[in-house]
Amino acid sequence: MTQTEAVAWIARVFETAPDQLTPDTHRDNVPAWDSLGVLTLLAGLDSAFGIVLTDEDIQAVKTVGDILDVMRRHGTLTSSPA
Amino acid sequence: MAVVKTTGARIAAICTCLPTRRFDNLTDSSAFTEEEIRKVTGMAGVSSRRVAGETICSSDLCIAAAQRLFDRLEWHPESIDAVIMVTQTPDYFLPSTACVVHYRLKLADHCAAFDVGLGCSGFPYGMWLAAMMLQGGGMRRVLLLHGETPTRFSDQSDRSVSLLFGDAGSATALETTDVAGSTWHYALHSDGSGYNSMIVESGGFRDRFGQDLHKHCVSMNGALIFNFTIKRVPSLIDETLKAAAMGTDDIDYFIFHQSNQFIMKHLCAKQSLPSEKIPIILRDFGNTGGASIPLAMTQGNLTRPEDRPLRLMLLGYGVGLSWGSALVDLDAKAILDSVELDNTSQVSA
Repeated sequence: MTQTEAVAWIARVFETAPDQLTPDTHRDNVPAWDSLGVLTLLAGLDSAFGIVLTDEDIQAVKTVGDILDVMRRHGTLTSSPA
Repeated sequence: MAVVKTTGARIAAICTCLPTRRFDNLTDSSAFTEEEIRKVTGMAGVSSRRVAGETICSSDLCIAAAQRLFDRLEWHPESIDAVIMVTQTPDYFLPSTACVVHYRLKLADHCAAFDVGLGCSGFPYGMWLAAMMLQGGGMRRVLLLHGETPTRFSDQSDRSVSLLFGDAGSATALETTDVAGSTWHYALHSDGSGYNSMIVESGGFRDRFGQDLHKHCVSMNGALIFNFTIKRVPSLIDETLKAAAMGTDDIDYFIFHQSNQFIMKHLCAKQSLPSEKIPIILRDFGNTGGASIPLAMTQGNLTRPEDRPLRLMLLGYGVGLSWGSALVDLDAKAILDSVELDNTSQVSA
Protein backbone atom coordinates (compact mmCIF):
# COMPACT_ATOMS: atom_id res chain seq x y z
CA MET A 1 0.00 0.00 0.00
CA THR A 2 1.33 3.43 -0.88
CA GLN A 3 1.17 6.35 1.48
CA THR A 4 -1.49 7.97 -0.67
CA GLU A 5 -3.62 4.82 -0.41
CA ALA A 6 -3.01 4.67 3.33
CA VAL A 7 -4.12 8.26 3.81
CA ALA A 8 -7.24 7.48 1.78
CA TRP A 9 -7.91 4.50 4.08
CA ILE A 10 -7.45 6.69 7.18
CA ALA A 11 -9.82 9.24 5.67
CA ARG A 12 -12.47 6.54 5.26
CA VAL A 13 -12.03 5.50 8.90
CA PHE A 14 -12.63 9.07 10.06
CA GLU A 15 -15.29 9.79 7.44
CA THR A 16 -13.45 12.70 5.89
CA ALA A 17 -11.97 13.56 2.51
CA PRO A 18 -8.40 12.41 1.82
CA ASP A 19 -7.40 15.90 0.77
CA GLN A 20 -8.26 17.08 4.27
CA LEU A 21 -5.48 14.95 5.74
CA THR A 22 -1.71 15.25 5.65
CA PRO A 23 0.84 13.44 7.83
CA ASP A 24 0.93 16.51 10.04
CA THR A 25 -2.82 16.59 10.66
CA HIS A 26 -3.43 16.37 14.41
CA ARG A 27 -6.35 14.37 15.80
CA ASP A 28 -7.76 17.57 17.33
CA ASN A 29 -8.40 18.77 13.77
CA VAL A 30 -10.28 15.65 12.68
CA PRO A 31 -13.83 15.85 14.07
CA ALA A 32 -14.44 12.09 13.99
CA TRP A 33 -11.12 11.27 15.65
CA ASP A 34 -12.64 11.23 19.13
CA SER A 35 -12.73 8.40 21.65
CA LEU A 36 -15.15 6.43 19.45
CA GLY A 37 -13.05 7.18 16.39
CA VAL A 38 -10.05 5.62 18.12
CA LEU A 39 -12.00 2.38 18.52
CA THR A 40 -12.93 2.47 14.84
CA LEU A 41 -9.29 2.99 13.96
CA LEU A 42 -8.12 0.12 16.18
CA ALA A 43 -10.75 -2.23 14.77
CA GLY A 44 -9.93 -1.15 11.21
CA LEU A 45 -6.20 -1.71 11.62
CA ASP A 46 -6.89 -5.16 13.08
CA SER A 47 -9.44 -6.31 10.53
CA ALA A 48 -7.85 -4.76 7.42
CA PHE A 49 -4.19 -5.36 8.15
CA GLY A 50 -3.97 -7.62 11.20
CA ILE A 51 -2.28 -4.84 13.15
CA VAL A 52 -2.91 -4.83 16.90
CA LEU A 53 -1.30 -1.82 18.53
CA THR A 54 0.60 -1.83 21.80
CA ASP A 55 -0.84 0.23 24.63
CA GLU A 56 2.12 2.60 24.17
CA ASP A 57 1.24 3.05 20.50
CA ILE A 58 -2.34 3.91 21.41
CA GLN A 59 -1.20 6.64 23.77
CA ALA A 60 1.37 7.95 21.29
CA VAL A 61 -0.72 8.15 18.11
CA LYS A 62 -1.73 11.81 17.79
CA THR A 63 -1.35 12.60 14.09
CA VAL A 64 -2.04 11.01 10.72
CA GLY A 65 1.73 10.60 10.40
CA ASP A 66 1.78 8.55 13.62
CA ILE A 67 -0.77 6.15 12.10
CA LEU A 68 1.32 5.94 8.94
CA ASP A 69 4.38 5.14 11.07
CA VAL A 70 2.51 2.28 12.76
CA MET A 71 1.44 0.93 9.37
CA ARG A 72 4.99 1.27 8.07
CA ARG A 73 6.43 -0.56 11.10
CA HIS A 74 4.06 -3.44 10.47
CA GLY A 75 5.01 -3.64 6.80
CA THR A 76 1.70 -2.35 5.49
CA LEU A 77 3.25 0.66 3.76
CA THR A 78 5.53 -0.05 0.87
CA SER A 79 6.95 3.42 0.49
CA SER A 80 9.05 5.67 2.71
CA PRO A 81 7.68 8.91 4.11
CA ALA A 82 7.33 11.59 1.44
CA MET B 1 -2.85 -20.65 34.22
CA ALA B 2 -3.13 -23.73 32.11
CA VAL B 3 -6.53 -24.74 30.94
CA VAL B 4 -8.16 -26.87 33.65
CA LYS B 5 -11.18 -29.10 33.83
CA THR B 6 -13.69 -30.25 36.40
CA THR B 7 -16.14 -33.10 36.50
CA GLY B 8 -19.25 -33.97 38.46
CA ALA B 9 -21.14 -30.67 38.52
CA ARG B 10 -24.30 -29.58 36.74
CA ILE B 11 -26.22 -26.35 36.47
CA ALA B 12 -29.61 -26.96 38.04
CA ALA B 13 -30.95 -23.49 37.32
CA ILE B 14 -30.04 -19.91 36.53
CA CYS B 15 -32.27 -17.01 37.42
CA THR B 16 -31.51 -13.37 36.70
CA CYS B 17 -33.02 -10.28 38.28
CA LEU B 18 -33.46 -6.81 36.82
CA PRO B 19 -34.69 -3.63 38.47
CA THR B 20 -38.04 -2.56 37.04
CA ARG B 21 -36.88 1.00 36.35
CA ARG B 22 -35.99 1.42 32.68
CA PHE B 23 -33.74 4.22 31.46
CA ASP B 24 -34.03 5.10 27.78
CA ASN B 25 -30.72 6.53 26.59
CA LEU B 26 -32.31 8.76 23.98
CA THR B 27 -35.29 10.16 25.82
CA ASP B 28 -34.09 10.11 29.43
CA SER B 29 -30.54 11.48 29.01
CA SER B 30 -30.07 15.20 29.53
CA ALA B 31 -26.29 15.47 29.70
CA PHE B 32 -25.62 14.95 26.00
CA THR B 33 -26.87 16.14 22.64
CA GLU B 34 -29.08 13.84 20.60
CA GLU B 35 -26.27 13.44 18.07
CA GLU B 36 -23.81 12.38 20.79
CA ILE B 37 -26.28 9.88 22.18
CA ARG B 38 -27.03 8.41 18.76
CA LYS B 39 -23.32 8.07 18.04
CA VAL B 40 -22.51 6.35 21.34
CA THR B 41 -25.55 4.12 21.43
CA GLY B 42 -25.04 3.22 17.77
CA MET B 43 -21.58 1.92 18.53
CA ALA B 44 -22.27 0.37 21.94
CA GLY B 45 -25.63 -1.03 20.87
CA VAL B 46 -27.37 0.10 24.06
CA SER B 47 -30.79 1.73 23.67
CA SER B 48 -32.02 1.33 27.22
CA ARG B 49 -30.87 -0.04 30.54
CA ARG B 50 -32.32 -1.06 33.86
CA VAL B 51 -31.16 1.05 36.78
CA ALA B 52 -31.16 0.20 40.46
CA GLY B 53 -31.51 3.75 41.78
CA GLU B 54 -30.70 4.50 45.39
CA THR B 55 -32.70 1.72 47.01
CA ILE B 56 -31.40 -1.44 45.36
CA CYS B 57 -28.00 -3.03 45.98
CA SER B 58 -26.30 -6.05 44.42
CA SER B 59 -27.49 -8.27 47.26
CA ASP B 60 -31.13 -7.36 46.65
CA LEU B 61 -30.98 -8.39 43.01
CA CYS B 62 -29.22 -11.66 43.82
CA ILE B 63 -31.55 -12.51 46.69
CA ALA B 64 -34.62 -12.04 44.51
CA ALA B 65 -33.08 -14.30 41.88
CA ALA B 66 -32.06 -16.91 44.48
CA GLN B 67 -35.51 -17.00 46.04
CA ARG B 68 -37.02 -17.73 42.64
CA LEU B 69 -34.49 -20.55 42.19
CA PHE B 70 -35.38 -22.08 45.53
CA ASP B 71 -39.07 -21.99 44.58
CA ARG B 72 -38.56 -23.47 41.13
CA LEU B 73 -36.14 -26.16 42.27
CA GLU B 74 -37.91 -26.82 45.56
CA TRP B 75 -34.56 -26.49 47.28
CA HIS B 76 -34.59 -25.78 50.99
CA PRO B 77 -32.13 -23.01 52.00
CA GLU B 78 -30.58 -25.41 54.54
CA SER B 79 -29.43 -27.63 51.67
CA ILE B 80 -26.98 -25.00 50.36
CA ASP B 81 -23.38 -25.81 51.28
CA ALA B 82 -21.76 -22.64 49.98
CA VAL B 83 -22.75 -19.24 48.64
CA ILE B 84 -20.28 -17.33 46.48
CA MET B 85 -21.04 -13.67 45.80
CA VAL B 86 -19.11 -12.26 42.84
CA THR B 87 -19.37 -8.48 42.72
CA GLN B 88 -17.46 -5.25 42.37
CA THR B 89 -20.36 -3.26 43.78
CA PRO B 90 -20.75 -4.75 47.26
CA ASP B 91 -23.32 -3.46 49.73
CA TYR B 92 -20.60 -2.68 52.28
CA PHE B 93 -16.82 -2.67 52.57
CA LEU B 94 -17.42 -5.14 55.34
CA PRO B 95 -18.98 -7.52 56.01
CA SER B 96 -18.91 -9.45 52.79
CA THR B 97 -22.11 -9.21 50.78
CA ALA B 98 -22.23 -13.01 50.88
CA CYS B 99 -22.86 -12.83 54.62
CA VAL B 100 -25.73 -10.39 54.12
CA VAL B 101 -27.18 -12.77 51.56
CA HIS B 102 -26.59 -15.72 53.89
CA TYR B 103 -28.67 -14.04 56.57
CA ARG B 104 -31.50 -12.88 54.32
CA LEU B 105 -31.84 -16.20 52.52
CA LYS B 106 -31.83 -18.01 55.88
CA LEU B 107 -28.95 -20.25 54.89
CA ALA B 108 -27.55 -22.65 57.48
CA ASP B 109 -24.46 -22.13 59.59
CA HIS B 110 -22.74 -25.04 57.85
CA CYS B 111 -22.87 -23.00 54.65
CA ALA B 112 -19.63 -21.28 53.55
CA ALA B 113 -20.18 -17.70 52.43
CA PHE B 114 -17.65 -15.40 50.79
CA ASP B 115 -17.22 -12.68 48.18
CA VAL B 116 -15.08 -12.68 45.06
CA GLY B 117 -14.02 -9.25 43.77
CA LEU B 118 -14.23 -9.67 40.03
CA GLY B 119 -16.32 -7.86 37.44
CA CYS B 120 -16.69 -8.65 33.75
CA SER B 121 -14.72 -11.91 33.95
CA GLY B 122 -16.53 -13.04 37.09
CA PHE B 123 -18.91 -15.60 35.64
CA PRO B 124 -16.37 -18.08 34.25
CA TYR B 125 -14.26 -17.62 37.38
CA GLY B 126 -17.28 -18.25 39.59
CA MET B 127 -18.27 -21.35 37.63
CA TRP B 128 -14.76 -22.73 37.98
CA LEU B 129 -14.70 -22.04 41.70
CA ALA B 130 -18.13 -23.54 42.34
CA ALA B 131 -17.39 -26.64 40.25
CA MET B 132 -14.05 -27.11 42.01
CA MET B 133 -15.79 -26.96 45.38
CA LEU B 134 -18.33 -29.56 44.30
CA GLN B 135 -15.64 -31.77 42.79
CA GLY B 136 -13.63 -31.56 46.01
CA GLY B 137 -16.22 -33.60 47.87
CA GLY B 138 -18.30 -32.86 50.94
CA MET B 139 -20.46 -30.25 49.22
CA ARG B 140 -23.60 -31.06 47.27
CA ARG B 141 -25.09 -27.69 46.37
CA VAL B 142 -23.45 -24.33 45.70
CA LEU B 143 -25.24 -21.05 45.09
CA LEU B 144 -23.25 -18.75 42.80
CA LEU B 145 -24.34 -15.12 42.73
CA HIS B 146 -23.32 -12.26 40.45
CA GLY B 147 -24.61 -8.82 41.32
CA GLU B 148 -23.60 -5.51 39.79
CA THR B 149 -24.99 -2.00 40.10
CA PRO B 150 -22.50 -0.07 37.93
CA THR B 151 -24.99 2.73 37.22
CA ARG B 152 -24.39 3.75 40.82
CA PHE B 153 -20.70 4.49 40.18
CA SER B 154 -21.12 5.99 36.71
CA ASP B 155 -20.42 9.70 36.23
CA GLN B 156 -23.49 10.97 34.41
CA SER B 157 -21.36 13.48 32.51
CA ASP B 158 -19.01 10.79 31.17
CA ARG B 159 -20.55 9.49 27.97
CA SER B 160 -18.13 6.54 27.78
CA VAL B 161 -19.78 4.91 30.79
CA SER B 162 -23.06 6.64 31.59
CA LEU B 163 -24.83 5.45 28.44
CA LEU B 164 -23.34 1.96 28.62
CA PHE B 165 -23.91 0.39 32.01
CA GLY B 166 -27.00 -1.32 33.39
CA ASP B 167 -27.71 -3.10 36.67
CA ALA B 168 -28.55 -6.77 37.13
CA GLY B 169 -28.08 -9.75 39.39
CA SER B 170 -28.06 -13.49 38.90
CA ALA B 171 -28.23 -16.68 40.90
CA THR B 172 -26.85 -19.93 39.55
CA ALA B 173 -27.67 -23.17 41.35
CA LEU B 174 -25.04 -25.85 40.93
CA GLU B 175 -25.10 -29.37 42.30
CA THR B 176 -23.15 -32.60 42.07
CA THR B 177 -24.11 -35.10 39.41
CA ASP B 178 -23.15 -38.67 38.59
CA VAL B 179 -23.95 -38.23 34.91
CA ALA B 180 -20.95 -39.24 32.82
CA GLY B 181 -19.57 -36.75 30.35
CA SER B 182 -20.10 -33.65 32.45
CA THR B 183 -16.50 -32.47 32.07
CA TRP B 184 -16.14 -28.71 31.96
CA HIS B 185 -13.07 -26.77 30.77
CA TYR B 186 -11.80 -23.39 31.88
CA ALA B 187 -9.00 -20.99 30.97
CA LEU B 188 -8.39 -18.17 33.44
CA HIS B 189 -6.00 -15.25 32.97
CA SER B 190 -4.98 -11.91 34.46
CA ASP B 191 -2.80 -8.94 33.53
CA GLY B 192 -2.60 -6.58 36.47
CA SER B 193 -0.48 -4.09 34.51
CA GLY B 194 -3.78 -2.81 33.14
CA TYR B 195 -5.37 -2.32 36.55
CA ASN B 196 -5.96 1.36 35.91
CA SER B 197 -7.58 0.92 32.50
CA MET B 198 -10.88 0.74 34.35
CA ILE B 199 -10.87 2.00 37.90
CA VAL B 200 -12.75 3.76 40.68
CA GLU B 201 -9.81 5.65 42.18
CA SER B 202 -11.34 7.01 45.37
CA GLY B 203 -13.44 5.57 48.14
CA GLY B 204 -11.14 2.64 48.84
CA PHE B 205 -8.31 2.86 51.33
CA ARG B 206 -5.80 4.19 48.76
CA ASP B 207 -7.81 7.43 48.74
CA ARG B 208 -10.51 7.07 51.35
CA PHE B 209 -12.15 10.50 51.30
CA GLY B 210 -10.81 12.04 48.08
CA GLN B 211 -12.32 15.44 47.37
CA ASP B 212 -12.69 14.97 43.62
CA LEU B 213 -16.10 13.38 43.25
CA HIS B 214 -15.32 12.24 39.71
CA LYS B 215 -12.75 9.88 41.20
CA HIS B 216 -15.49 8.17 43.17
CA CYS B 217 -16.96 7.19 39.81
CA VAL B 218 -15.56 4.70 37.36
CA SER B 219 -13.16 5.88 34.72
CA MET B 220 -12.58 3.70 31.71
CA ASN B 221 -9.95 4.01 29.01
CA GLY B 222 -12.05 2.57 26.19
CA ALA B 223 -9.16 2.33 23.74
CA LEU B 224 -6.99 0.28 26.11
CA ILE B 225 -9.90 -1.98 27.07
CA PHE B 226 -10.75 -2.51 23.40
CA ASN B 227 -7.13 -3.24 22.57
CA PHE B 228 -6.86 -5.71 25.46
CA THR B 229 -9.99 -7.45 24.24
CA ILE B 230 -8.90 -7.93 20.65
CA LYS B 231 -5.51 -9.17 21.83
CA ARG B 232 -6.73 -11.60 24.48
CA VAL B 233 -10.18 -12.96 23.67
CA PRO B 234 -9.41 -14.64 20.30
CA SER B 235 -6.62 -16.68 21.86
CA LEU B 236 -8.85 -17.43 24.85
CA ILE B 237 -11.41 -19.01 22.52
CA ASP B 238 -8.74 -20.94 20.65
CA GLU B 239 -7.04 -22.35 23.73
CA THR B 240 -10.33 -23.43 25.28
CA LEU B 241 -11.44 -25.23 22.12
CA LYS B 242 -8.05 -26.86 21.83
CA ALA B 243 -8.05 -28.08 25.43
CA ALA B 244 -11.48 -29.64 24.95
CA ALA B 245 -10.49 -31.05 21.54
CA MET B 246 -13.46 -29.28 19.99
CA GLY B 247 -14.12 -26.93 17.13
CA THR B 248 -16.46 -24.02 16.65
CA ASP B 249 -19.13 -26.36 15.28
CA ASP B 250 -19.18 -28.29 18.57
CA ILE B 251 -20.33 -25.22 20.50
CA ASP B 252 -24.02 -24.32 20.51
CA TYR B 253 -23.53 -20.80 21.82
CA PHE B 254 -20.62 -18.51 22.59
CA ILE B 255 -21.96 -16.41 25.45
CA PHE B 256 -19.79 -13.30 25.56
CA HIS B 257 -19.70 -10.82 28.37
CA GLN B 258 -22.03 -8.16 26.99
CA SER B 259 -19.40 -5.45 26.86
CA ASN B 260 -20.15 -3.36 23.82
CA GLN B 261 -21.73 -4.32 20.50
CA PHE B 262 -18.86 -2.90 18.47
CA ILE B 263 -16.32 -4.98 20.37
CA MET B 264 -18.43 -8.14 20.27
CA LYS B 265 -19.08 -7.92 16.55
CA HIS B 266 -15.42 -7.29 15.88
CA LEU B 267 -14.46 -10.38 17.91
CA CYS B 268 -17.01 -12.53 16.10
CA ALA B 269 -15.78 -11.40 12.70
CA LYS B 270 -12.18 -11.92 13.70
CA GLN B 271 -12.90 -15.47 14.85
CA SER B 272 -15.38 -16.22 12.05
CA LEU B 273 -18.06 -17.11 14.58
CA PRO B 274 -21.61 -17.39 13.21
CA SER B 275 -23.78 -14.57 14.50
CA GLU B 276 -26.64 -16.96 15.34
CA LYS B 277 -24.40 -18.51 18.00
CA ILE B 278 -23.73 -15.17 19.70
CA PRO B 279 -26.63 -13.81 21.78
CA ILE B 280 -26.44 -10.02 22.12
CA ILE B 281 -28.79 -8.41 24.62
CA LEU B 282 -27.11 -5.02 24.95
CA ARG B 283 -29.94 -3.11 23.32
CA ASP B 284 -32.32 -3.52 26.26
CA PHE B 285 -30.00 -4.07 29.21
CA GLY B 286 -26.58 -2.50 28.52
CA ASN B 287 -23.36 -3.76 30.02
CA THR B 288 -24.20 -5.35 33.37
CA GLY B 289 -20.68 -6.49 34.26
CA GLY B 290 -20.34 -9.97 35.72
CA ALA B 291 -24.08 -10.57 35.54
CA SER B 292 -24.15 -10.08 31.79
CA ILE B 293 -23.33 -13.69 30.85
CA PRO B 294 -26.15 -15.28 32.86
CA LEU B 295 -28.41 -12.44 31.68
CA ALA B 296 -27.58 -13.31 28.08
CA MET B 297 -28.53 -16.90 28.90
CA THR B 298 -31.93 -16.00 30.33
CA GLN B 299 -32.74 -13.15 27.92
CA GLY B 300 -30.95 -14.30 24.77
CA ASN B 301 -33.69 -16.61 23.43
CA LEU B 302 -31.45 -19.68 23.38
CA THR B 303 -32.83 -22.59 21.37
CA ARG B 304 -32.65 -25.66 23.62
CA PRO B 305 -32.90 -29.19 22.24
CA GLU B 306 -34.87 -31.61 24.40
CA ASP B 307 -32.64 -34.61 23.82
CA ARG B 308 -29.18 -33.31 24.67
CA PRO B 309 -27.44 -30.63 26.69
CA LEU B 310 -26.48 -27.29 25.23
CA ARG B 311 -22.74 -26.81 25.02
CA LEU B 312 -21.83 -23.26 25.93
CA MET B 313 -18.59 -21.36 25.87
CA LEU B 314 -18.85 -18.56 28.43
CA LEU B 315 -16.38 -15.72 27.85
CA GLY B 316 -15.69 -13.01 30.41
CA TYR B 317 -13.16 -10.18 29.97
CA GLY B 318 -12.52 -6.71 31.29
CA VAL B 319 -11.69 -4.90 34.51
CA GLY B 320 -8.55 -6.19 36.21
CA LEU B 321 -7.46 -6.81 33.59
CA SER B 322 -8.95 -10.26 33.88
CA TRP B 323 -10.31 -12.71 31.36
CA GLY B 324 -11.50 -16.28 31.37
CA SER B 325 -13.60 -18.93 29.74
CA ALA B 326 -15.80 -21.76 30.93
CA LEU B 327 -16.88 -24.46 28.50
CA VAL B 328 -19.89 -26.03 30.18
CA ASP B 329 -23.04 -28.02 29.50
CA LEU B 330 -26.56 -26.88 30.22
CA ASP B 331 -28.71 -29.98 30.34
CA ALA B 332 -32.26 -30.08 29.07
CA LYS B 333 -33.72 -30.11 32.58
CA ALA B 334 -31.83 -27.06 33.77
CA ILE B 335 -34.12 -24.11 34.46
CA LEU B 336 -33.57 -20.64 33.00
CA ASP B 337 -35.75 -17.98 34.58
CA SER B 338 -35.87 -14.28 35.36
CA VAL B 339 -37.53 -11.94 37.82
CA GLU B 340 -37.80 -8.19 38.29
CA LEU B 341 -37.33 -6.18 41.45
CA ASP B 342 -39.54 -3.16 41.96
CA ASN B 343 -37.46 -0.02 42.53
CA THR B 344 -40.23 1.60 44.48
CA SER B 345 -40.16 -0.95 47.28
CA GLN B 346 -37.67 -0.10 50.00
CA VAL B 347 -35.31 -3.00 50.62
CA SER B 348 -33.85 -3.49 54.06
CA ALA B 349 -31.45 -6.02 55.45
